[in-house]
Amino acid sequence: MNSPLSPIDFEDKRLKIKFKLEKRLQKELQALTKDPPTGVKVDAESIYRNLSEWIVDIDGAPESLYEGEKFKLMFKFGSRYPFDSPQVMFIGENIPLHPHVYSNGHICLSILTDDWSPALSVQSVCLSVVSMLSSCKEKKRPPDNSFYVKTCSKNPKKTRWWYHGK
Amino acid sequence: MPKDVDSDILCFLRKSENGLLEIGYTVRKVASSQPLVSEKISFEVFGSEYSDEDLIYIHKLEDLKKRYTCVRRTRGDGNCFYRAFGFSYFERLLQDKKELQRFTDVAKSTRDDLIKLGFPEFTIDDFHENFMEVVGKLESEFTLTELTDTFNDQGLSDYLIVYLRLIVSGFLQKEAEFYTNFIEGDRSIKEFCNQEVEPMGKESDHIHIIALTNALGVPVRVEYMDRGEGDQCNHHDFPDGSKPGVILLYRPGHYDILYT
Repeated sequence: MNSPLSPIDFEDKRLKIKFKLEKRLQKELQALTKDPPTGVKVDAESIYRNLSEWIVDIDGAPESLYEGEKFKLMFKFGSRYPFDSPQVMFIGENIPLHPHVYSNGHICLSILTDDWSPALSVQSVCLSVVSMLSSCKEKKRPPDNSFYVKTCSKNPKKTRWWYHGK
Repeated sequence: MPKDVDSDILCFLRKSENGLLEIGYTVRKVASSQPLVSEKISFEVFGSEYSDEDLIYIHKLEDLKKRYTCVRRTRGDGNCFYRAFGFSYFERLLQDKKELQRFTDVAKSTRDDLIKLGFPEFTIDDFHENFMEVVGKLESEFTLTELTDTFNDQGLSDYLIVYLRLIVSGFLQKEAEFYTNFIEGDRSIKEFCNQEVEPMGKESDHIHIIALTNALGVPVRVEYMDRGEGDQCNHHDFPDGSKPGVILLYRPGHYDILYT
């Protein structure tokens, strides 16, 4: 035990992990295509080509401040998914104007970092994002938006967030 | 509000003994060179990290030596309670086929309990299947070396940890009415589970231990080695009055495995 792995063992281990990750992502994609939550849509075709990066379409919920608006969420999955959270951010022309969404698309949402659990899924992240938008009372950027956008890393997971008042 | 952390060291403010604020730091990432579960090591090796002048710990180590033969270390990654518990118990199951039969039935039934509580089926199944696969191998296939290798293969080991975490969460939610009294602050049991049980790397407290031992019917003894007064380690059995086969050593923030 604990002896260095031979190159063959190492490759074997790496493939096993990759296989498990792909199996999990395929299951998630099937579930999401078959039974998508209201206002959430995936383009399965584009995802099957590259399982490690998904784009999900989100519709602003009826009777919320975002009714009629369309958003794009990008998911990136690292090799430690689902033990590590996916990288999730808004992309495209329309970034929702919301107190927890920075103008570069980064989202301050605890389940995306500290409170991520491997039992969560793309579907539960989408539901949380939709619910975060739906419960918004005033459309505005976070108070530290301009400073954050200038100084942050491209990867929102590199940010250590303080979650005051969710 | 975001705070930048590219480094592995987090600074925080704490109150020092004289009441002043001082800067403390904690290292977030753990050297991955440390095995998830070590070989058995003697108390001589185990105690070498303490200075001879650290009398409280030296005395308590002496006390442990009288009652135990050796230790297995686990990696301090916040999952150490589950990893130590899981390994120690599975190691016992290699020898005890009757207990293995009982445990297999209990573990099988946890899946439906979790689904009933509203956990998504396909994520639960993923972890349940991987967990049961290892449990199945304890019957005849596994040697101790293979069990140790499995626990040290992070890709496999973490599936076991996640499932144990889910069992704790499921149990607490099922018994919410009772356990809600033990949750500090104004969090519900579900929020507590979402934030302190299910995420990887969140450390375990008494409530987690009580939940896991009750959910699985596996008693645990914890020996406490801290800076408290006295030359001996205090221990606590979960539940009270049981005869635990799994014995863990607790030092502030960390669990290892003890052997008689």
